[in-house]
Amino acid sequence: MLTSALWWQCVIAVPLGVGSLALAQPGYGLLGQSAPEFALHAVAGGNVRLSEHRGEVVVISFWSSRCTPCRTQLAALDRSLTTYRSAGLQIYGINVDDDQTRALEFAHGESVAFALLLDPEKDVSRRYQVDNLPMTVLVDRGGIVRYVLRDYSDKSQELYLKQLRALLNE
Amino acid sequence: MLHLGLPRLSFSPALAVLGLLLAVGAAQGAAPAARAAADTPPGKGVPAATAPAPAAAEAVAGEPGSVDTAVDTRGLDQEVQGLKKDVVDLNRELFVLEEELLFPANTQVAVFLSMDVGDFFGLDAVQLKLDQKEVINYLYTPREVEALLKGGVQRLYLGNLKVGRHELVAFFTGKGPNDRDYRRGASLRFEKGIGAKYLELKINDRQRKQQPEFEIKDWE
Repeated sequence: MLTSALWWQCVIAVPLGVGSLALAQPGYGLLGQSAPEFALHAVAGGNVRLSEHRGEVVVISFWSSRCTPCRTQLAALDRSLTTYRSAGLQIYGINVDDDQTRALEFAHGESVAFALLLDPEKDVSRRYQVDNLPMTVLVDRGGIVRYVLRDYSDKSQELYLKQLRALLNE
Repeated sequence: MLHLGLPRLSFSPALAVLGLLLAVGAAQGAAPAARAAADTPPGKGVPAATAPAPAAAEAVAGEPGSVDTAVDTRGLDQEVQGLKKDVVDLNRELFVLEEELLFPANTQVAVFLSMDVGDFFGLDAVQLKLDQKEVINYLYTPREVEALLKGGVQRLYLGNLKVGRHELVAFFTGKGPNDRDYRRGASLRFEKGIGAKYLELKINDRQRKQQPEFEIKDWE
């Protein structure tokens, strides 16, 4: 009787566990791969090249002026930068708006300590397979894509901080 | 030449790694065996099939002073360093080989960029067109500009062109005098012969005019 109950629990629990893992990072092709190189204009001026930050943990967040949670997420990322900058953290926000004017207006309204970058050709967004906003990609010190978060919620923010700490400790 | 070169390049480091792994494995395997032999009471003996190897015996002899262990570690460290050097050399040879294959000398064209002084121009981007076709659009970070100002020369583009007349157009974007947005172009018509062609984009300050100067130089 007990054995049968255990067996049924396993039958139910295993697919649920696999399902929840799949929900966390469903088929993101860049996991474990080298982060695609980019050089983009920053809203505040100057250019940023990803490869110049080897040896640092880089968080790349894709955002748009039309995305409401993006604003909250950028603020949360800013807080994490304040805490972990000295441990070797770099954060970049890449805009995916079609309308650059709106993107600039949004960017000027944000007071974040990290650079907000413009990707008018959407070339970088395509290479990073952006399919939801906000989307956050965590790149380790060796330039490898290690984690991706495809939404913003309290739970995903907790997960982000956990993953970030793990990468900074490596 | 390529056929002879490639197997040597591909297999010698692999064999070295394999050898190193086998050596480390043997050393790790030998130590527990030696310890087991030392723990065995003299009366009971060890079956012939599981008798410690000579390496294990040496490890037993070396344990009290641990001098041999230190020597072994140093040897291993030297081997690892040697292996690292082999990998770096191999990488360099492969890089040269790749360039020779992708950009043969008879069709190769390379464009370099250098900057002198830079008081009147803050470089932001360079767009390069060869025969009306955009071949590169490069954005410069502050670190790259700093390196150029220190005398660095950047290979901006490497490609292939057939023999004949061609035109190179370069657009420079950045901040000009008084921190104003600045965009200037420079062009050069050149003849591509049988050998490789090297061109240099030079950004200079023209003190008399208080303006930057853009020049394309053909390295004959």
